[in-house]
Amino acid sequence: MTDRSLDTLIDEVVLGLASDADIARVEALADSDPEVAKRLEQARQTFAPLDDTAEVLPLPEGFWERIDARLEASEAGGTVIPLAEARARRIPWRSTALGAIAATLLMAVVLGTTLMSERDPLVVAVLLDAGGEPVALIESGVDNTTRVTLLERPDVPADQVMQVWTKPDEDGPPVSLGLLTGGRSRTLTIEGLPAPNSRQLYEITAEPAGGSPTNLPTGPILGVGLAKEPVI
Amino acid sequence: MADFTGASTGGVSTIVTDHAALISACAAGEKQALKTLMKAEGGRMLGVARRMLRRSDLAEDAVQDALVLVWRRAHQFDASRGSAKGWLYTILRNRCLTMLRQEDREVATEADQIEATSQEAVLTAAFDGLETTTGLRQCLERLDGATRQAILSSYVLGHSHGEIAGRLDAPLGTIKARVRRGLLKLRECLS
Repeated sequence: MTDRSLDTLIDEVVLGLASDADIARVEALADSDPEVAKRLEQARQTFAPLDDTAEVLPLPEGFWERIDARLEASEAGGTVIPLAEARARRIPWRSTALGAIAATLLMAVVLGTTLMSERDPLVVAVLLDAGGEPVALIESGVDNTTRVTLLERPDVPADQVMQVWTKPDEDGPPVSLGLLTGGRSRTLTIEGLPAPNSRQLYEITAEPAGGSPTNLPTGPILGVGLAKEPVI
Repeated sequence: MADFTGASTGGVSTIVTDHAALISACAAGEKQALKTLMKAEGGRMLGVARRMLRRSDLAEDAVQDALVLVWRRAHQFDASRGSAKGWLYTILRNRCLTMLRQEDREVATEADQIEATSQEAVLTAAFDGLETTTGLRQCLERLDGATRQAILSSYVLGHSHGEIAGRLDAPLGTIKARVRRGLLKLRECLS
């Protein structure tokens, strides 16, 4: 990439015009290259005066209490891992870059399975581990029938089991889709959830045998990813 | 600009908000720091969100989400890499953009109809609100009107290339190229 096109890309990220893939690319570059990080910060500072032109609006009554309640709710679970955050924390920047590569590499797998399945999945997610390696492929239909294809032999202790989770509501609690007993790929079914949407979060954690005792993820995250709608 | 008074000595109140220190305190689990940050920046954040989302309920949600994210991500903030205020507003803007792109088209269209005329006014107010001494203002002034409008509406209103093309009734490719040329000119002017 030329310097000029990188600068343009950085500007587009700051303006909000860049695609998700380009945002991930720039953030990955900024994480690995202080020079890019500096240019990104500079672009942000260039446009930041526009934020100051916004009106200062009064915060409605009880605004802090609502925020506080949300902080309390996420703490009340004790060991509950806020999923989106856990993803950001556990998986370093390169996961986003590698995610794009992994997604490309997996296109063949995705295409293969989607073409073969009788009903096309509504969403597909590639779950990545903390090192950014793809570990599982999730395909979910409109009724939340979820095919989980493991891409690596799981390294889970004998007294633990892999549990698959999703967050039908971005701000709501994670919901268990089921267990991968024996560490094998499986198709899981669940009733009562809304149809999965793109950007819905999926993850697999290691839980005590029989599944999480709290019915919320407690164990380490083995893989996590956001769903996308396949191009069919 | 905010009702947070950092220190008060001898009747002279100094309004200082040390964003970086507050974010570090958030990382250490001090809720009061988040509350102070909310008091100092919440009103402005709400204004930024309101311009982009055009609905006060959505704007409030966006600011709430952003502050919860600030709390959760506080440990990731690295003062050596950029300004704390910039970090805060980047989180807010990203949240607003996500909501905008996910927003039910029907609602968005309806809101567009209600406020179509006022969007021009919002952009004008944003531009006029820039201090005349800022490089950004001086350099934006040198761009042709349509290009300036396109750049402002992406940042201020959160419009995508497609939305800008629709509003200016121009092909998407033309708009993308125009914005890129405009950004290049801006960088040259600012450097």
